[in-house]
Amino acid sequence: MSQDQIDILKRALEREKQARKAAEKILEEKSRELYQTSQKLELLLDEKSSQLQGVFENIVDAYVVMDLNGDVLKFNEAAARLFGYDIEQEPVNVIKLIYKEDYEYAMVSYMELQSKGFFKDYEARVYTKSGEVKWVHINASIVYNRDKTPIAAQGIVRDITEQKIAAESLLRSESRLASLIVNLDSAVLLEDENRKIVLTNKKFCDVFNIPVDPDQLKGQDCSGAAEQSKTLFEDEDNFVNRINEVLEKRQTVLGDELVMKNGKILERDFVPIIKDGIYRGHLWTYRDITLQKNYSESLEKQKQKYSSIIANMNLGLVEVNNDDEILMVNQSFLEISGYTEEELIGKKGGKLFSIDDGKTISEENLKRQKGESNSYELKVKNKHGDVRYWLISGAPNYNLNGEVIGSIGIHLDITDLKSLEYQKEKLLQKLEKSNDELQEYAHIVSHDLKSPLRSIDALVSWLREDNKEKLDAASLQNLDLIQTTLEKMEQLISDVLNYSSVSADNSENAEVDIESLVADLLKILYIPEHINVTIHNVLPKVMGDQIKLQQVFQNLISNAVKFNDKDNGLIEIDVADEGKYYRFSIKDNGIGIEPQFHDKVFKIFHSLKKSKDSSGIGLSIVKKIVNLHQGKIWLESELGSGTIFYFTLKK
Amino acid sequence: MNKLKVLLIEDDMIEVMKLNRATSSLQLNHTIIEANNGEDALKLLEQKDKLPDIILLDLNMPKINGIEFLKILKSDSRLKYIPTIILTTSNNQRDLLECFNIGIAGYVLKPLKYEEYVSKIEKLLAYWSINELITT
Repeated sequence: MSQDQIDILKRALEREKQARKAAEKILEEKSRELYQTSQKLELLLDEKSSQLQGVFENIVDAYVVMDLNGDVLKFNEAAARLFGYDIEQEPVNVIKLIYKEDYEYAMVSYMELQSKGFFKDYEARVYTKSGEVKWVHINASIVYNRDKTPIAAQGIVRDITEQKIAAESLLRSESRLASLIVNLDSAVLLEDENRKIVLTNKKFCDVFNIPVDPDQLKGQDCSGAAEQSKTLFEDEDNFVNRINEVLEKRQTVLGDELVMKNGKILERDFVPIIKDGIYRGHLWTYRDITLQKNYSESLEKQKQKYSSIIANMNLGLVEVNNDDEILMVNQSFLEISGYTEEELIGKKGGKLFSIDDGKTISEENLKRQKGESNSYELKVKNKHGDVRYWLISGAPNYNLNGEVIGSIGIHLDITDLKSLEYQKEKLLQKLEKSNDELQEYAHIVSHDLKSPLRSIDALVSWLREDNKEKLDAASLQNLDLIQTTLEKMEQLISDVLNYSSVSADNSENAEVDIESLVADLLKILYIPEHINVTIHNVLPKVMGDQIKLQQVFQNLISNAVKFNDKDNGLIEIDVADEGKYYRFSIKDNGIGIEPQFHDKVFKIFHSLKKSKDSSGIGLSIVKKIVNLHQGKIWLESELGSGTIFYFTLKK
Repeated sequence: MNKLKVLLIEDDMIEVMKLNRATSSLQLNHTIIEANNGEDALKLLEQKDKLPDIILLDLNMPKINGIEFLKILKSDSRLKYIPTIILTTSNNQRDLLECFNIGIAGYVLKPLKYEEYVSKIEKLLAYWSINELITT
């Protein structure tokens, strides 16, 4: 090794020695610093420990320390308050504090604590000493000693009972709100700012024919919805355009009216949702107003209809208030009254028109106050002073509260009718009087005509009596002829009187039993031996005049007897039901009537066979009576073999 | 049989003859007093001591007619007790009703035939002659 090399080595060693010295010196300094620091740290630790102790003692939340068996080692003041125990006095195990339904959850959390060394956000119920149940939130961790061995567990316990209750009630009110929206009668669509559906309801799906549950629509994009739905609406383009317009403006729109093709009418509201000045979406609301709309439309139509009726009707209409002051009149009333509208409005109707100082009108208005409606006739004078008769139909007028605020009267001028009625009455009276007079006249005439007949008869009788011996056979026969002629004359007068007496005026209208009527008649009528009368049916009961109907049967049966020339005379009485009428028939096998006389026999003084006991009035009386009973009479006959008389009587 | 005093009120001369002849031919002893109209009859009836037992009254007469006469008769306190029988040709129902309404003792229709008349008068007088009548 060269000197150089040795020198180098020496120098290096020297340098090393010095460096080591320096290092030792530094080490020494450092060591001293470390000691000082450690001293400081220990002090600090003590300080911190006591600080922590203070914090734990004083924190608002409860602080609990327990050993690994769950025996509580420490409760801070808040914990003591929360649980109600004083652990200095009585030992407490946390098992005892766990709400029984939360036990399982508590055990799971405890396992977690052991395995992971902590748990967070444990929320469960606990019992307090007084048995009260409280909701608590717990964050807990394991406490280790220096050897990293777990020796205890500590936890911060926060009483969250009130929060829980608030949350629950919030939940409840939210669900209430949700069900309200779902069941709302309006269709609701809530969209967010990106036109995604946030909420909608059943009604919305119904209105827009969307066949899914409203919940399934959540999150759906609505940007194409208007295009899809437009076919439901009358004006498709306008529906789409309007939606776009509204969306663009983002301003509240209320009461847009939409007519659907199915006839429904919807009312739509648009409400933008602005939160903190930022647009967050919008709410569409659709209401079905078809009913209201139609109702108000028909109401409007009705109103127009009635207005035009009132304006154009031929009846005068007047509305008055409770003081009888005229509020409204129509054109017809102006024509009827002769006044102009200006002359009438505000005036009292009773004073203006009435002749009796408004007495009748006041009485009638009192009835209106009581809510009564009626019609009455009123004698009035119009503007020109003419006396007119009005028929007034009045009714009370009510306000919306149902109070009488006046009345409405409809006026018809019945003056012409009235005078016609008066004329008619007079005519009727006159007619009645002249009918009466005629009747009297007939009686007097017949009396005056009959009286001389009686005298002649008496005189002829005396002539015969007083000259029995003096008169020859021819004279006596002539006297007989005079008396026969007198009888004929007498019969004629009676028949004329009878005929003139048959009128509706003196007719009874009662139920008449034809069966017994005919039976009685057959007892009193003279029916010769060789004539047989048969009745084929039970004769019905009809409404009519007993005596007159008897006259009919009597006449027809008598005729059938009188004009029978056969050895075996046959008279058949029958009846047939003809709906509204009974058709009676009286058939004989007598001499018959020639066709040209079939109508003539019913005319007065048309006796075909001039005989002692036929005046020619009988059948005309029969016809008159049948007609009086709204029936008809006719005959069928064959000359030489018989006649059937038919007549109908109303049931 | 009582002998009746009959007042016949009748304007027709032959009718009066008829009654007289009938009673005489029937050989009845009744007294017939005649009045040609209602006025005459009322005069006769003023003599209250010579009142008839019955009155036969025709309806159709001039001046006071039968019904008017009947009304006057029935409103008199004494005369109303005299049975009054209507003897007429009128079978007017209205007259019949009114007469019975006012108060009559009978309503007899004059028949056409004289023989029948005699028979009716015979029965009528026979009936009233067996009746008790108010005489005072």
